[in-house]
Amino acid sequence: MSNLSRKMSSRKDVISNCSRSLLAKSALAATALLLLAPFGVVAQSSSGSSKSSSTSSSLDRWLHVRVISSDAKGETVRVNVPLELAEKVLPTINKDRIHDGKVKIDNAHVNDVDLRALVEAIRTAKDGEFVTVQSNDRDVRVAKQNNHLIVHVLDKQNSKKSEVEVKVPMKVIDALFSAGKDELDLVAALHALSAQGDTELVSVKDHENTVRVWLDSKNVTD
Amino acid sequence: MMLLAKAALGLGGTLVLAGAYTMREGVIRVDVDEYRSGGSHVHVWVPAAAVSMAMHFVPSRHMRHASEQAREALPVLHAIIKELKKYPDADLVEVVDDDRHVWVRTYGGKLQIDVDAPDEKVHVLCPLSALEDVTSQLEERSPAA
Repeated sequence: MSNLSRKMSSRKDVISNCSRSLLAKSALAATALLLLAPFGVVAQSSSGSSKSSSTSSSLDRWLHVRVISSDAKGETVRVNVPLELAEKVLPTINKDRIHDGKVKIDNAHVNDVDLRALVEAIRTAKDGEFVTVQSNDRDVRVAKQNNHLIVHVLDKQNSKKSEVEVKVPMKVIDALFSAGKDELDLVAALHALSAQGDTELVSVKDHENTVRVWLDSKNVTD
Repeated sequence: MMLLAKAALGLGGTLVLAGAYTMREGVIRVDVDEYRSGGSHVHVWVPAAAVSMAMHFVPSRHMRHASEQAREALPVLHAIIKELKKYPDADLVEVVDDDRHVWVRTYGGKLQIDVDAPDEKVHVLCPLSALEDVTSQLEERSPAA
């Protein structure tokens, strides 16, 4: 009988030792798992955030500026600005002539030209060419076409030609001059711009620089 | 063995909790290498949460002074960071020529500034949420607030 009880007790010890060892091992494994878990979470969260960003930013409007210099250094500048960001940040700038997203202009006169009256005249006019100058030095063309104001300047001076083309939707110009007297409403203009489709706004080409300003929905330049 | 396992579990759990709390906002990383005689080499990795936590212990007169100095820029900075958080992965500015490369972008919710030039290399990586925390705290402690 005592033999049997001794055998049972030794078997209990073996089971107890086994379970202790198993418990200890599982505790160690759990510790290792706990220590490694944050890396997995970080990896998952970072991949998740990049996925959500690509979808959230795809519908946004971006203003792109690209300057390519053809000099020896071959400098290229690329700037991409979300229009919404510019709309939200501009009103926070209160410095010199800029305040609340508007910029002050002196009596709306620039070089004795009444800008506001000029804009009003263009706005109400039908599509057509307003200014056409052709000379040996330069060609200038100002026109209204498909609700866009187009300014085209071709400088033929010297052997180094330069060409400037500016194409601004009329709605943007309207919004720009929608503020009170002597003010340009930059935020309203940006807001109007964001409602436009993909469009090229400014293009400058000369012998050493190419400048392009355009609007689209991509958050990277081509 | 059992005691060791218990101790390991306790230590591990504490480490994980402390690590997760400290790293919840990511890491602020600043690497500056100037390749000239006497040029500085700075390499700093700081948990972003530690910075905003440490700001609570900065004496209020120093915080007031800092916010006074940055008074004009703070609202603009705050608005930029708040908006940038909506664009966690975007190339903002890139300047490249034959020997320099400057890159400002957001990557995984962090602001990344890289300057690679022959005479210096600067790499800054800072979570936007940490920047927002810092600007918010400076705004809260400004004399006008």
